[in-house]
Amino acid sequence: MLVRILVLALLLVGCGAESGHEPTAHAVHPAPIVATSPEVPRFEPPPVGSYELPTIQHVDEYELVSSDGTVAPLLGLVAGEAAIVSFVYLSCGQACPLATATLHQLDATLARDEVLAGRVQLVSVSFDPERDTPEALATLRQGLAPQGRWRFLTANDPAEIAPVLADFGQDAVWIPERDGHAPAKLRHVLKLFLVDADGSVRNIYSTGFLDLRILVNDLRTVLGEFG
Amino acid sequence: MFRCVVVIWILAIALGPAAIADETCQSPYLPKIEGQEDYVYVWTLGVEGWGDGSDKVVTVGANPNRADYGKVVDSVSVGGRHEAHHGGFTDDRRHFWVGGLDDSMIYVFDVATDPAHPKLVKTIDDFVEASGGAVGPHGFYALPGRMLIPTLSNAKDYGGQAALVEYSNEGEHIVTHWLPEDAPYGYDARINANRNRLLTSSFTGHNNYMRNLADLMGDSEAMKNFGDSVIIWDFHARKPLQTLRIPVAPLEIRWAIKPEHDYAFIEAALTGELWTVLRTEDGSYEAVKSGEIGTREEQPLLAVDISISSDDRFLFVDTFMDGKVRVYDVSDPRNAKQIYERKIGAQVNMVSQSWDGKRIYFTSSLLANWDGTGHEDEQFLRAFDWNGEELTPTFEIDFEAEKLGRPHLMRFGQIGFWAGRDVGTAETLAGTP
Repeated sequence: MLVRILVLALLLVGCGAESGHEPTAHAVHPAPIVATSPEVPRFEPPPVGSYELPTIQHVDEYELVSSDGTVAPLLGLVAGEAAIVSFVYLSCGQACPLATATLHQLDATLARDEVLAGRVQLVSVSFDPERDTPEALATLRQGLAPQGRWRFLTANDPAEIAPVLADFGQDAVWIPERDGHAPAKLRHVLKLFLVDADGSVRNIYSTGFLDLRILVNDLRTVLGEFG
Repeated sequence: MFRCVVVIWILAIALGPAAIADETCQSPYLPKIEGQEDYVYVWTLGVEGWGDGSDKVVTVGANPNRADYGKVVDSVSVGGRHEAHHGGFTDDRRHFWVGGLDDSMIYVFDVATDPAHPKLVKTIDDFVEASGGAVGPHGFYALPGRMLIPTLSNAKDYGGQAALVEYSNEGEHIVTHWLPEDAPYGYDARINANRNRLLTSSFTGHNNYMRNLADLMGDSEAMKNFGDSVIIWDFHARKPLQTLRIPVAPLEIRWAIKPEHDYAFIEAALTGELWTVLRTEDGSYEAVKSGEIGTREEQPLLAVDISISSDDRFLFVDTFMDGKVRVYDVSDPRNAKQIYERKIGAQVNMVSQSWDGKRIYFTSSLLANWDGTGHEDEQFLRAFDWNGEELTPTFEIDFEAEKLGRPHLMRFGQIGFWAGRDVGTAETLAGTP
């Protein structure tokens, strides 16, 4: 049985003071990311521009909070650009690290791509604004050390995330814990969204489609770069 | 107090469709119920004079540890009769789409908020217009964020020219792909994500499937209008690559579930043959006849539905005319060996099994005008346990006595599958402790 196993260890260490209920910035000592790539997919992707990616749905622009604490647009695209949007949360144990690892690989790939570099935004949006503070996301960002345009967003209030998820059609439910503690884990289907500058979602990727070659070919196809 | 925060993400995720395949016969892009299902949702054709006479989604209790086991828990009518046929979940398993083959109506049920009581939340009544003339939405196959809907016919002549239609999960038309002119018939559509391959199969158009079966089988000209094509597509590009011929009416497609198994099973309904489509060394596919379904003298038995076990060992094959299920050992995909058979009822159509292969469910209805008459028109859901050698009855629902209708497609639901609270809201979903 060809079950592709991906083992990703992403180690970020931060130690800081906890004083009362005020969140504190963590001193960050990021360690290198250790990742093994998924097994090479067993097909040759169709060539760039040999297929169409019709609009699946439209999404609106939203104002969220960036990892530097400033208000930032979710997409913030201009003509000729596209984004890959991923919803994650830091205490996620399974799907989110895979999504983030995929974006990490894509970030490195795009940095070497003369055509796409600078024209593609990667956006990781937190499901969990209560715990994924700008500081926590900054820690993650520092550990990942993006080479290109990779932004990490959260919100001031969890309620601000709900309409974004609804607009994208991203399911996410907090799994209840039986001992009365606040929920810690989400049940959701891993999805990455390819969005163009018009806010049109041109493709959605779940585990069966997380193939860097497909992502890059799709971005080139959407941006009309068939060369 | 100082706290040292150590965030370690260690991931061991099984990628690929096998890891996320549903209870054996659904889209690879769907979270599956691995344990005990609590409900079986049955998309049911209305019958005049039976209850309200409308098509409906019937929810049946399927967990032997619950008081509602073997009972009708709920029934939601959609109003009118539309030739209720197939359905499927969206990729997040929160919505259950069902369709009518006659007037191409599509109904979307929310099954996440309260799995015991599906709620009709959207009706799509312009499928033919929106799709550019596709008729008879037959399957509802989850893709990420959208539904793939293979159709059976078209509004131009109601013949066999069919299409693949894509809709967003929100219920908006995205794109229509018409099948090639030299292989126009449609039926099933199934994806092997590991290979980026889509298989489609073929049946017949509205002119035929809405006719009385006896009349149709006596019309030699009409009987020529059945498909024999199986198309291999580049799924990502949505482009046909190769057409195989499997006479006659190759219907249900089941890719083997283990990723190293590069083959799919298909039953030829009118000729009573089991076929296997296998990948060859050069990357193309070949079709090999792998077994007989009944004897030649018994044909047409109308082999109507198949179900593969999650270990790729057993294939259950239902034949409508004699009401039997035959179980094949398909360990050798080129040589299917029948190991068991049992009469399920006067007629039988659909078969569905749990992921662990221990529970098998059957329904009786094929099409309103193809079902038997008189005492042959038995309408039921029958549940069995399977021990690898034989079926043992567990419960049944008489859909005529319950005045429900003709039961067709089955899908599973589970209490607590979506239990919890939607992110950013106070909404608590059913099954939350």
